[in-house]
Amino acid sequence: MNRGLLAKTTREAWPITLFCGLGLALAEATMAYALLGFEEQISAAWSAFGLFQEIVRTVLGADMREQIGPETIAAIAWVHPLVLALVWAQPMVYCTRVPAGEVDRGTIDVLLGLPVARWQLYLTETVVWLAAGIVILFAAGTGNALGTAAAGGRAVRAARLALVMANLFALYIAVGGLAWLVSALSDRRGRALTVLFGAAVASFLVQYLAQFWSLAARISFLGLLHYYRPLSILQSGAWPARDIAVLLLVGTALWALAGAIFARRDLATV
Amino acid sequence: MHIISTAALTRRYGRRIAIYQVDLDVPEGSLFGFLGPNGAGKTTTIRILLGLLRASAGKASVLGRDCWREASRIKADLGYLPGDLRLYPWLSGTEALRLFGAIRRRDLLREGRELAERFGLDLTIRVRSMSRGMRQKLGLVLALAHRPRVLILDEPTNSLDPLMQDQLKVHLRTLAQAGHTVFFSSHTLSEVEQLCDRLAILREGRVVLQETLQSLRDRSRRDVAIEWSDPAAAGQVAPAFLRLLQRDARSWACVLAGPVPELLRWAAGQPIEDLCIGRPDLDALFRRYYHEETEAP
Repeated sequence: MNRGLLAKTTREAWPITLFCGLGLALAEATMAYALLGFEEQISAAWSAFGLFQEIVRTVLGADMREQIGPETIAAIAWVHPLVLALVWAQPMVYCTRVPAGEVDRGTIDVLLGLPVARWQLYLTETVVWLAAGIVILFAAGTGNALGTAAAGGRAVRAARLALVMANLFALYIAVGGLAWLVSALSDRRGRALTVLFGAAVASFLVQYLAQFWSLAARISFLGLLHYYRPLSILQSGAWPARDIAVLLLVGTALWALAGAIFARRDLATV
Repeated sequence: MHIISTAALTRRYGRRIAIYQVDLDVPEGSLFGFLGPNGAGKTTTIRILLGLLRASAGKASVLGRDCWREASRIKADLGYLPGDLRLYPWLSGTEALRLFGAIRRRDLLREGRELAERFGLDLTIRVRSMSRGMRQKLGLVLALAHRPRVLILDEPTNSLDPLMQDQLKVHLRTLAQAGHTVFFSSHTLSEVEQLCDRLAILREGRVVLQETLQSLRDRSRRDVAIEWSDPAAAGQVAPAFLRLLQRDARSWACVLAGPVPELLRWAAGQPIEDLCIGRPDLDALFRRYYHEETEAP
C-alpha cells in the first residue's frame, strides 16, 4: 500500500464521511429516542388509523398485518429515508471521485504522472471506501444505542441489530459498486452523480410502489432496497444470508467490472 | 541510447486521426523541442508517452520500457508537467511536496524548497489561492524535485513571466548538461530555437521534420551585407555561395547559400570595408513547416 496515496485518499474522504457519519448518528439517536419514547402513542395510532398503517408499511417496505411491536418501531429508525439517503450519499460522492472526478477537475494527469499503477490507485480507493463504510455504520449504531439509552426504552437485542447493520453494510457495498462502475464509465462527475441519483430514486420508488402495485412488485427484485429488510430481521432474528449474498455479489461484480474498465480506458483531462 | 522512442505511433478518436505514424527518437541528455501548432497532436503524443492514453497502433517507449504496460515504472524516473496543469486545491506547496514525496517514496522537501526559492515561489500558499503563474511554478517544482532522468514538459513556459521563462531555460540547460533528457512541447518557435539542440515538428498529426538544430541552422537562410571599400569590386560577379539580392555602387545585399567558413575565406581576399552576417533565419523555415501543405524544404 502506498502511504502517499492513502494519505491523499483519506484527506479527500473524510469530509463526506464525517458529514454522513455525524448525520447518521444524529438521525439514529433522534429516531431511537423519539420512537421508543412515544411507543405507546405510536401503537395507539397504529390501531386507530388505517392511513398511519399504510405510511409505516410503505416506509418499512413490508406487508404488515400484525400488531405493531417494539421491533417494528426500532426498524423504522433503520429504514427512514434520511438514514438511507445518507448511507447512499457517502458511496455515491466518494466513489465518483476516481476516475470521473479526477478527470472532470483535470487532476488525473498529475495523479497518473506519478509512479502509481492504476490498480494500486483503485485498491487504495477501495480500502478507504470500505473503512469509511465501517465508520459511518459504527456512527449509526452508536447513535441508535445512545438514543435508546436516553429514552430508557426496551432495546432491541444487540445480535439482531448487528444483523441489520451487516445487511446495511452489504447495501453500502452494492451502492458503492454501482457508483464505481458509473464513475469508471464517465468523464464528468456531475453526470455520474445524476445517473446514480436516478438509480437511487428508482430503487426507492419501486420498493414503495411494490406495496400497492403488482407490476412494481414483479420488478422490485431489480432494486437494491429489495434486499434490505430490517423489519424481518428484527422480528425473526434470522441471518439474512440470501439478501446479503445478493448485495455482496452485485457490489463485488460491479466493483470488479469498474476496476477492469478503469485499468484499460483512456484517462486524461478532456 | 534513445530515452524516448516511438515507431509508427498512431492514435484515432473515432474517425478522427489525432496522430499518424509518428516516429520519434530522443537521445539521452538532449533538449528536445516538440513543436507544432495548436491541435497538431503534441499533447496526445505526450499522453501516450505517459500511459494516460492507449495508442491505436505503433509503439512507444520511455527509458526502454513500454509506455502502456510499464507506465508506473517509467514514472519513477520521469517528471511530468501537463499542459493544462490542475492541482488539488486543498494542497499548499509544502504539503504537495510532502504528498508527492510520500507517493514517490522519497524526500522531496529539500530539493523542492531550493527550486521554489530559485523560481520565487512561496510554498506556504494553498493552490486554491495561487495565481496561474504560481501554480505553473509549483507544477515545475513538483516535476523537477526528484531529479528525474527524463522530463516531459507540455508547454512549460505557459503563464510564466519572461524572467521566469529565462530562469527555467537556464535550469533546463543545466539539467541537460548533467545528462538529464528534456522533452518539451511548444508552439513558440523562438523558445525552441533558444533552448533546444534537437527538435521535431508535428503538423496535422504527422512528423514533418526531425533533426538537430545545428543542421537546421546550416540549412536556413542567412542574410549577408557587404560594404565595398573599392567601388570597382562591387561590380564583380558574385561567388556561387552568395545569392545576390541587391547591388549598388558600394554594397551588396545577398543570401548565403553555402557554409560560413567558405564566405570568410573568400572575403579575406576582397577589398571589403564591412561585412555583416545575419543570424540563421529559423523562423522563416519553421513557418514553412508549420503552414505548407507541400513537402517542406
